[in-house]
Amino acid sequence: MKLLITGLSHHTAPVEVRERLAFAEQTLPEALDRLRHRPGMVEGMILSTCNRVEVAVTAEEQGDPEKSIQEFLEESSRLEPGWVSPYLYHYNGSNAIRHVFRVAASLDSMVVGEPQILGQLKSAYAVAKQQGALNGFLDLVMTRAFNVAKRVRTETEIGSSAVSISYAAVELARDIFGSLAGKRVLLVGAGKMAESAARHLRRAGVSDIAVTNRTRSRADALAEEFRGRVVDYEEFFHALPDVDIVIASSGAPHYIINSEQMRGVINRRRNRPMFLIDIAVPRNIEPDVNKLEGVFLYDIDDLDRVVKTNIEGRRNVAEQAEEIITEEVERMMLRLKTREVTPTIVSLQEQLELLRTGEIERVRGKLGPLTPQQQEAIEALTRGIINKIAHEPIAEMRRRANDPEGIQLIHTIRKLFRLGEG
Amino acid sequence: MADSSIFWLRVAAFLYAVGLLHSLLSILRKAHGFYGIALGAFRVGVVLHGVAIIELARTEGRLPVENFYGTISLCAFLFALVFLFVDWRYRFASTSVALFPLIFLMTLVAGMERPVAAWPDMRVRDAWLIVHIILVLAGYAALLLTAVSSVFYLIQERRLKRKSNQTLLEKLPPLGTLDELISSSMGFGFVLITLGVIFGLLWAFIELGTKWVGNPSITLSLLTWALCLAMIFMRASAGWRGRKAAVMALVVLSSGALTWIAHTGLRPTLLP
Repeated sequence: MKLLITGLSHHTAPVEVRERLAFAEQTLPEALDRLRHRPGMVEGMILSTCNRVEVAVTAEEQGDPEKSIQEFLEESSRLEPGWVSPYLYHYNGSNAIRHVFRVAASLDSMVVGEPQILGQLKSAYAVAKQQGALNGFLDLVMTRAFNVAKRVRTETEIGSSAVSISYAAVELARDIFGSLAGKRVLLVGAGKMAESAARHLRRAGVSDIAVTNRTRSRADALAEEFRGRVVDYEEFFHALPDVDIVIASSGAPHYIINSEQMRGVINRRRNRPMFLIDIAVPRNIEPDVNKLEGVFLYDIDDLDRVVKTNIEGRRNVAEQAEEIITEEVERMMLRLKTREVTPTIVSLQEQLELLRTGEIERVRGKLGPLTPQQQEAIEALTRGIINKIAHEPIAEMRRRANDPEGIQLIHTIRKLFRLGEG
Repeated sequence: MADSSIFWLRVAAFLYAVGLLHSLLSILRKAHGFYGIALGAFRVGVVLHGVAIIELARTEGRLPVENFYGTISLCAFLFALVFLFVDWRYRFASTSVALFPLIFLMTLVAGMERPVAAWPDMRVRDAWLIVHIILVLAGYAALLLTAVSSVFYLIQERRLKRKSNQTLLEKLPPLGTLDELISSSMGFGFVLITLGVIFGLLWAFIELGTKWVGNPSITLSLLTWALCLAMIFMRASAGWRGRKAAVMALVVLSSGALTWIAHTGLRPTLLP
């Protein structure tokens, strides 16, 4: 039996291709059924996200499962035969295990360290499990992959830094306020990025979002979206002492918040810290505001620098994570071999015992009546012969249990003695 | 000081203690709805304090400002009147956090001119002193935490201001967390030191009468307490954070350390 992964991802296929191959969530059970019933397939799982479509299977040694999966993908998306092949990659054996571990640990993601992929992988696993498409080797690999992902997250800082502008703003807000529960936000202007930052802040626990905008209707719409309130644009300055975070993204051609005004605001706040995010171009907040004690001003370039530094940091951390993956793949291979060695030895012994008893039975009539001592001598003689035959193969399998090539030896012995698949 | 005068002064100190309790609970953020009671007790205390001063002035035939106790009593009384006026005119109740303890302590000291009793048991005397030392040391420990947190606050604030991504500094707690820690440790530190000072003064009063007045080590410990009070007040009223708060915390801690050093071997010098 072999493990195989065939698929495409953002590394190998543009979005136009990925979207054609993607499986809708509701079609997955039916697709899994079709996959499993293809010749030679034992187990199967389909991972379909916006960045990757991958099919993982365990298949019988005979046949060409790679081709079969490619056909399955093309049939599922009603594509011409061969259309998808330039974008596909194939992994098998330990490379497949490594790939699964890397995907689960978010080392293969577009944004290295992003946490969503693990959730998506778990969902795909749950659907496959529910369909009865996972029940052996692949199941074991997937379960291990979740543990490996957890280990990578625990032992490295792969996911600890923000790698998007809006999430960087949330992380900085956390550095300032700790918990964001109960904090108040004012959106000055209603740009897309401000909206995204506000959404992240809301998810992080911000309790109150107020919106002010020159165009009242836009402010109303945003306030409704965030279940917040609208502040008159002409009056927004009076609201500043009561808010902890300001996200400015108005289209004003000049500074709408200056240093002198902010001095008054921070005094009224009795120096309680305030976080100002200026993502407008041209900027809305005078840069000198950052010199005031208790005021932290970040403009779009500052946030961009934070993101770039974090991405660089994640690349460095990814090297540590790769070492963990290598260690885990080796451990997994060893475990799989150990899993195969013991049943192979048992099968070999059973097979030889079957031969021995069969042969004794066959010649039993020709030997005539035997005394118990003679019977015992024949038993001992034949058992000795099969033990001697089995000794070397068994010893060799045990010796090479830790050897990466040992799996090949196991397969050879199985073939030689016709032990069948374990 | 006349007997009746000192009686009223001690009753006033007792009533001021309600205000002190309010301040301590405010600092620990547990004084919800207690201000009215504390202010009522304080007002009655001021009246009795005035009675004590008039009584003494009548007995002595002049304004009682000729010794330490009379001066500190009058000073505390005037502080109390000023507080009541400011509270009535401007509704500036937050000053009570600092003034209630200060007025209480000054009145307590003023009421110590005449010894009241000897120790009922020597074991009580020793235990009393141990409680004083433990309270003060625990207070210093809390102030050490305040100072360390303040310095971390300063470092974290600088990092965020400079927008630098130094990995080691990123591991510092958020400013909000440090601020909470500073508030809590400062509050507990002040409460413990205030109780420690009260225990110490009462011990010295019963043990030594008036001999301790003017002792530099004890004056230094009262200065430390006053600095701690000022720190609490600036934090509560002006919201001192960052550099000012860190400097203030370090000053209070240094003063505490000096007080500790000054108190080494103090007891033999005070006792006959």
